This record gives sequence, structure tokens and C-alpha cells, in this order.
Amino acid sequence: MAIDMKIERQILRRTETSDEEIVVNFGPQHPSTHGVINFVTQTTGEIIRRSVPEVGYLHRGLEKIGEMVTYPGYMPFTDRIDYVAAMFANEGYALAVERLLGIEAPPRAQYLRAIAGELCRISSHFIAVGTMATDIGAATPLTHGLRERESVNDLIEELCGARLTFNYHRIGGVSFDAPAGWSDKVLRFLDHLDSYIQEWDRLISFNQIYVDRLANVGVITREQAVDYGLVGPNLRGSGVQWDIRRDLSYGAYPDFAFDIPVGTGRFGTVGDCWDRYYVRVQEMLESSKIIRQALAKLPEGEIMAKVARKPKPDAGEAVGRVESARGEMLYYVVSDGSEKAYRLRVRTGSFLAMGIIEELSRGIMVADLIAIIASLDIVAPEIDR
Amino acid sequence: MRITLGLDSTSLSRRYPRLAILATLFMAFGLPLGLYVAALAVFPLNTPERLDAMAEQWLGYDLAGSPYRYIVYTAFLLLVAFIAVNYTAVFGGVSTWVERRVAGRMQSRIGPNRPGAAGFLSWVADAVKMILKEDTIPAEADHLLFRAAPYFSMVGLLLPFVVLPFGEATVVTDMNVGVFYVAAASAFVVVGILVSGWASNSKWALFGGIRGAAQVMSYEIPAGIAMMVPVLMAGTLSMQGIVRAQGGWPWQWFVFQNPAAFVAFFIAVTASLAEGNRTPFDLPEAESELVAGYHAEYSGFRLAIFLMVEWANMWIMAGLAVTLFLGGWQVPGYGAEDYARLLGTGLLPAPGWFGLQLLSMLMFVVKTWALVFVFIWLRWTLPRVRVDQMMSLCWKYLVPGAFLCFVVTLVWQLLVPPAGVAFTGYALTALALFVLAKFAVATRRNISKVAGHRVDLGNW
Amino acid sequence: MAQGIRAYFGHITDVVTTFWEGLSVTLSYMLRRPITVQYPDRVEKRVADTLPPRYRGILEVDTAVCTGCMACERACPIGVIKISTDKDPGNPKQRVITQFDIDVGKCMFCGLCVEPCPTGAIAHTREFEATRKHVDSLVFRWVPDPAKPVPFYRPVKGQDAPRAPVGEILRRCLAAASWIERPSFLPEERKP
Repeated sequence: MAIDMKIERQILRRTETSDEEIVVNFGPQHPSTHGVINFVTQTTGEIIRRSVPEVGYLHRGLEKIGEMVTYPGYMPFTDRIDYVAAMFANEGYALAVERLLGIEAPPRAQYLRAIAGELCRISSHFIAVGTMATDIGAATPLTHGLRERESVNDLIEELCGARLTFNYHRIGGVSFDAPAGWSDKVLRFLDHLDSYIQEWDRLISFNQIYVDRLANVGVITREQAVDYGLVGPNLRGSGVQWDIRRDLSYGAYPDFAFDIPVGTGRFGTVGDCWDRYYVRVQEMLESSKIIRQALAKLPEGEIMAKVARKPKPDAGEAVGRVESARGEMLYYVVSDGSEKAYRLRVRTGSFLAMGIIEELSRGIMVADLIAIIASLDIVAPEIDR
Repeated sequence: MRITLGLDSTSLSRRYPRLAILATLFMAFGLPLGLYVAALAVFPLNTPERLDAMAEQWLGYDLAGSPYRYIVYTAFLLLVAFIAVNYTAVFGGVSTWVERRVAGRMQSRIGPNRPGAAGFLSWVADAVKMILKEDTIPAEADHLLFRAAPYFSMVGLLLPFVVLPFGEATVVTDMNVGVFYVAAASAFVVVGILVSGWASNSKWALFGGIRGAAQVMSYEIPAGIAMMVPVLMAGTLSMQGIVRAQGGWPWQWFVFQNPAAFVAFFIAVTASLAEGNRTPFDLPEAESELVAGYHAEYSGFRLAIFLMVEWANMWIMAGLAVTLFLGGWQVPGYGAEDYARLLGTGLLPAPGWFGLQLLSMLMFVVKTWALVFVFIWLRWTLPRVRVDQMMSLCWKYLVPGAFLCFVVTLVWQLLVPPAGVAFTGYALTALALFVLAKFAVATRRNISKVAGHRVDLGNW
Repeated sequence: MAQGIRAYFGHITDVVTTFWEGLSVTLSYMLRRPITVQYPDRVEKRVADTLPPRYRGILEVDTAVCTGCMACERACPIGVIKISTDKDPGNPKQRVITQFDIDVGKCMFCGLCVEPCPTGAIAHTREFEATRKHVDSLVFRWVPDPAKPVPFYRPVKGQDAPRAPVGEILRRCLAAASWIERPSFLPEERKP
């Protein structure tokens, strides 16, 4: 079995080879890497010695593009940073530039942002839990999840005209008000969702094979999760109650009452793959709660603040952080007073999750590596941008 | 807005809808029926004595004393093999279509529905496509073994057909060590898996091959012990003997005649799932882990053989379970004396005998298809187990369980009188019916539990 | 020891009960309606007509109400729109549009060009099917002939611009262009 010495040297940072080990490339094209990532894996048969993620296959220079187009013109590019949950990428960028300009979106716009964001979280989490089930070997939950996601996408399409790359947010508000009769459709979907999640749990969440495959696998302790800077459901799965929506609240979120699900170690240890999975399932129900409250309290009024067509913020810097479906998404924008950003930086949840894989991969089995990758809910374009 | 290309099968079947339906009917019923009739006509004749007698009576030719007799015998054997091979291919193809349609429905999809009526001919299209594809062999592969591996699997698939009884008279040969022979011969598939995994010279294939070897070797043990339970109950290793020891009605089946056999049935089915590499034990190919496992490097006709073996193996698995536990081909209400009476004493049996034979084949086919449906259903419900869990399930649960069933059956056979066995048969049948009814109610309730869902059989 | 035995048999019970639930869920889907829509040939209505009105499909320009302000060209972050204007040789006071190209192959359907348009001349339609064999053919020329330029539209105060219904012009153009491209040696086909 030929071993590619170049990969050995470059990725595994290793010069000696061993006859007992083989180096396997999980990727860049592999059914369960969720995009083009390569996990260079050093194994002795089924047991993995070490697995090092090699990222960068999907780098499109989106941060550099931010320096080349105007502030409003960058909004469609944010969709491409995380196309599974584009609403949050829009929102984080809008928040950052609004802070730079010293304006705030009107209350109705903020509520609409919350509703659209939570709908998007539901659709993103359905992908996450569905692909996780597929990676564990059950094909049916994914298509059921995709079916539910399509219902959400129908609603969002009606709201903003696109199913995937929404470009719904604008600096200082949102692009469209809710169409007539839309909130009834959303409520009908939420009623369906609340009853559907029960079925989902019975179909896959509590399936004994599924639980056995995930419980006590890839345990991330509280300390490890904080040390490696994990965010979002990956952090909460380890039992840390940290949610930007509550702890660094933004937009309309202070007005809503919602719980923050955390991992409990129900079938194994706190912070195992099953906990991270189930945090996502529960978050869908919390999102449903938030949307119900937001629709009930939706204020009247404008949906856009007064913003120049080509805003020129004063020189300075601003940060927008939102709780995306994959955890905290942070935009850092530096302005030099022109109509284009001087520097734009995006910090995303999936990239942070890549750091811990090498640590978790020591001594696990090949199938566990797949479970861990799936449980971290990685979206490749978000890693590389 | 309709895009039509001239050679599109959709437009073909639209232009000639009757042709499509006729083709489908022929492929779905005509072809299998033809094979069954051919099997019924040929299989019982396949003994030298009967061939000799026929030649004597009809042709006036002394075959037994002829120097060419072995050529005739071999020709007959080849005819039998031809029927069996074709039957496997047809079953393998049809079951892929069934699997895809069932999976589609279970996943809220439609599944293939374009070529032929209800998309039935899609398996023919798939097969044609695969045969036309280039047969690529990796440069670094071990060419000879790479080419040979599919045939090992194929042999492992076809050998059990020798003793698998399709009907009262429709069996190639009723070996007196039938069960033992099946257990031994079906393991040949793993040789193909292991060889293909090694010869591909690909890391994924090697993983798959090694996993497959470990899995099939381990599960031979619980499967073997569980298969001993009906052998003990029938007192013979012959497949026909085991079926004859059972009856047509459910309470006369071995599975319900003894609680240990009831458990052994589930152990045997689980173990044969593992031996056939079906989900939840599809570790050798494990799409999300090993890409395609042992057949990752195969393409074209060789891949088609692997896939056919995979699907047609379901027939062996299900057929074996039906034979050993579910009464095989026994028709309710007809006993051994009916077959003997209708057969008569002449060289050719009465037409009624052929009717009864077809009925018994139908019983076997229906039961086997029901079990195949269960396998498909399991596949589209369950996740995959991990390698170590697969091993622990085998050694910690199935092997002790099967052994316990074996011991209990021994005691049961010694101590329980026939009246007790009959009572157990009724009781366990009633219990099974009760569980099935409960399951049906639970299934119906699932639909009303989800807001916005209702029973709707449309959109095929 | 007792705990181990309980765990052993508990595991078996868990397997049986959870498989029971899962199997009944999947079996019940045999009785539910699949959600698949058999696009494109087995749909009751054209899919484009079933989309919501806000759907961001292929851009359409009604040059009759275009004021030539070029706000859309400036709003586009990736330079999909190309507009050229000139003076009308016959009437020096009247400016005309000589070129209005939209490269649909490059467009990312973000809708930023539609927002600044004062008359609604540029708008997203619900059409999304415009397959071409060459990506060059996806440059939609809304002023087909530079020799026949379109004069600027002057908005009338307090009156809506008389814009043609969204989608009608594009549908006409798409229907006129054949699905199969002409061979490349023929003179370039002007579309739409």
C-alpha cells in the first residue's frame, strides 16, 4: 500500500512511516464529509491513531470580496458563507454595518429578522440531524428532514423570494414585509412541526442502534469545549449554557422567553455525540416557541431605517455577532470612511469545530470519526469562506 | 412545458402505453411464471433413474447402458442450472425495483416510476446500463483476483439453490445433509468479498473486505446453532424432510410449535441479515464510512454481479427461514397423502398434481416475498451498527441465545407430549396475531398523530 | 452482577421497543402521500406559475419605462448589467439607451438592482428555465439593436409608470428563442 509521503509530511507533520499503519484520506470527496474537506487519517485497521482535517478546498476569498464591493453590495455574498443557514450570515453582517453607521433597524424589522432567522434555524437543523442519521446509516430520516425543510423554504421563499440564498436583510432593516396571510401559514407549519418532532424522535433519536452508536462517543468535556472555543450547539451539547441570543442579546430576542437546551448525558456522558444531536432537535422546538411569540407580538411600522444608498460610515470598526445554526457567527468590519470596507473578517462555528477533531480522533474507530464529524454539524463553505 | 427527447423511455411508453403494460406484465409475471413452470417440468426429472426410464419408455433407447449417458445427464444438469441462474437474476432485478419503490414510499418519495408500468422495467434498464459500461480495472490491482472475485460471490449465491425447495417436487436435489450444505455453501460469498477487497488495492475496499470476512465468519455460528433447532424438531437435515415435518397452517409451523424455536427464528433471521450484509449489518459496504466498501473499485458487469448477489442473497436468506421455520411450501389443507394420490403411479402425473405443485410453489414464493419485504423495511428504518457492536451482538447476545434455544429444544423434544406442542402452536399463533394487530393499530395512529398528515395512497 | 444482568436484558427490551416504534413509523409512510413533484413533465401547472410573486427569477427589463438612470448597474455588486446611453442623433435633447445587457449566466439573483429602480422597469420574473447550450447565449439583450436605440422614459409626477405585466416580455422572448442553439458558424442569434 503506497503511502503518500507528501501528505504524511505536510498534514500529519510526521516523517517516519510504520508498516502497521495506513494513511487514509477521508475526503475531499467522501459521502460524509459534508462538502470538500479532507480528513487525513492515520489508522491501524479500524482504530484511528489520529485524524487531521485539511481545510481550504472551498476557499473563495469571501473576506477579500468584502473589501472590493460596497457595504450593501456585500449582502448577497454573505449568503454564500453559510448557504445552509444564510439568514444568520445576512443578519450578522447587517448588525455589524448598522453598528458602524450608528443606526438600528426598526422594531418590526427586528421581529421579522427573528422570525426569519428562527425559521432558517429549523431548516438548517433538519439538515444537520438528517445528515447525521444518514452518516450513521439510516437513510430515511434525511429525506423526512428534507421534506420538512422544504416546507420551511416555501415559507421563506414567500417572504423574500429565494429558497437558499435569501439576501433578505438590508443594512438598517429587511427587504420585504411579511405578505398577507403568511403568519397563518407559519403557525400551521409550526403546529405540524411540534407534532412531527415526536415522530422524528420515535423514528430515529431513541433508536437503540442509533443511541449505541452515538452515546459515549466523541465526548467533549465542558473544559475542552471552552478551551477549543466551540460555539453554538456543539458548546451547549457539552453542558455550557451559552447562547448569544440570550447572553449577548441582539435584535428582538430580549422580548422572547425561551429555554436553552443543553446536553444532559441522557444515554451516556455529557458532551457525547448524542447530546449534541439532541440539543439540535430540542432547539427546533425552542425556535418554534420564539416564532409563535414573535408573530403574536409583531409590532406595526417601518421595516427599513433611513440609510443612504451607498453608506459611507466614519472611520472605525464594529462587530456583529449572532447565534447562527452552527453557533456564534461574528463579523468584524473596519471602515476607513469610504464606501467599501477596509477589512472584513468572519468567524464561523464550523471552522472552530475543526480544531477539536484531531484531539477527539485519538483511539476511536473509523465509524466514530464519521459520527463525530456529523455531530459537529460542519458545513464546508463556512469553514473556508 | 414538456421536454421530449426522441429516445426517452417516458415518451416511448407514452406513445405505446399498451406495449409498456404488456412488457411489464411479461417481465413481472410471465418471466417468473415461465421459470417456475420450467423448474416444475425439469427439476423432478433430474435423476438418472427417471431419465433412464423416460428414454426407455418414450424413445425405446437404453440410456443406462449407453456410452453417452453422462452427456445427457450433464445436459440436464446444465438445463437445471440455467433455470436457477436465470431465476436468481430475475429475482435480484425485481427485488431492486421493489426495494427502490418501497424505500421511496417510506421516505416520502415516489421512486422509479417511468420505464414500463409503475417503473417496473427500471431494473432491466439498470442491468442494460451496467452491462454496457466499461469494465475498469485499477492499474495497481491484482488483475487475476480482481476479475475472479465476482464469480466467487456468484458461486456462493447459486450453490444453495441446489437444495432450496420451491415446492413439493420442485427441488434440484433433496440432499440428506441439506441444512449443513446451505450453511457451508452460502459462506462462499465471503470469499468473493474478501478477494475483491484485497485485489482492488484500495484502502476502502480492504476495509470492506476485512469487515465482511470478520462479520460472515462470526455470524455463521449463531446462524448454524439456530438452524439446528428446526433440525432437532424434524429429526432430519434434509430440507424437504424439515418442510414435511411441518404443516400448512400457521400453528403447524415450527416457529410457533416451541417457544425456543420462536426465539431461534429471530436469531436466525438476524444472523442471516448479517451474513447477507443487509442493513443494519451492511458494514462491508457502509456507504457513509467506506464509500462503497469492497466493490468501490468495480464497475460495469462485475459490479452488476456483486449487486445481483447482494439482492438475490435475500431470496436465499428468506427462503431458508421460510423453509426451516415458516412451513416452507406446505399448502394448508393438503397433506403428504394428497400429493401421493394425485401423483399416481404412471410415468406422467395427473394434471391435478401439477396444479397442487404450482400452489405449493406459490405458498413458498408468497412467504418468501413477505420476508423479503421485512428485510427491505428493516433496511430503510435502522441505522448501521459499529464493528465492535456487531461483534458484541454476535458473541454476547446471539450465540448464547441460540445455544439456549438449542438446549431448550432438546428438553422440549424429550418432555413435551404432542398435545402440549399443539397447544403451544395455537397459543403462539394467537399471540403473534395479537402482536400484529397491535402493530397495525400503532401504525395507523402514527399518521393521525402528525398534524397535517392523513392516509392517502395517491401519487404513485 | 444483578446490575449487569439488568443492563443486559434492559438492552434487549430497548432494542425491541425502539425498533417497534421506528418500524411502525416507516411502515405508516406506505400509507401517506409522497411529496415528490414530478418536474418538469408531470405537473398540473407550469412550475413558474405556482411560485410566490416575490420569487427572484430571471431579470426582465421593460425598456419602454426605463429612465436610463443606471441605478441598477451601480447597485449590482458583480457587474452583471451593462448599460450604454447616447444622445439621439435626430433630437439632441433626447438621450437614448443603446445597450442594456444582462448576463443571466453571471447573475446571482440577489434583487439589489430591482430596489433602486424608480419606475420598476427592471424586475425579477418567476421564470427560471432558460437553458442554453453556450453560456454566452445567456446574455440577454434588452435593447436588441444598437442602431435602434430606445429613448429614456420621463416619469410623470403622480402617475405610475405604464409597465407591462412582469414576466410577459420575458416569456415572449424565451418562447421565440429555440431550445436547441444554432451552430456557432452561423451569424450570432440576437436574443431576446
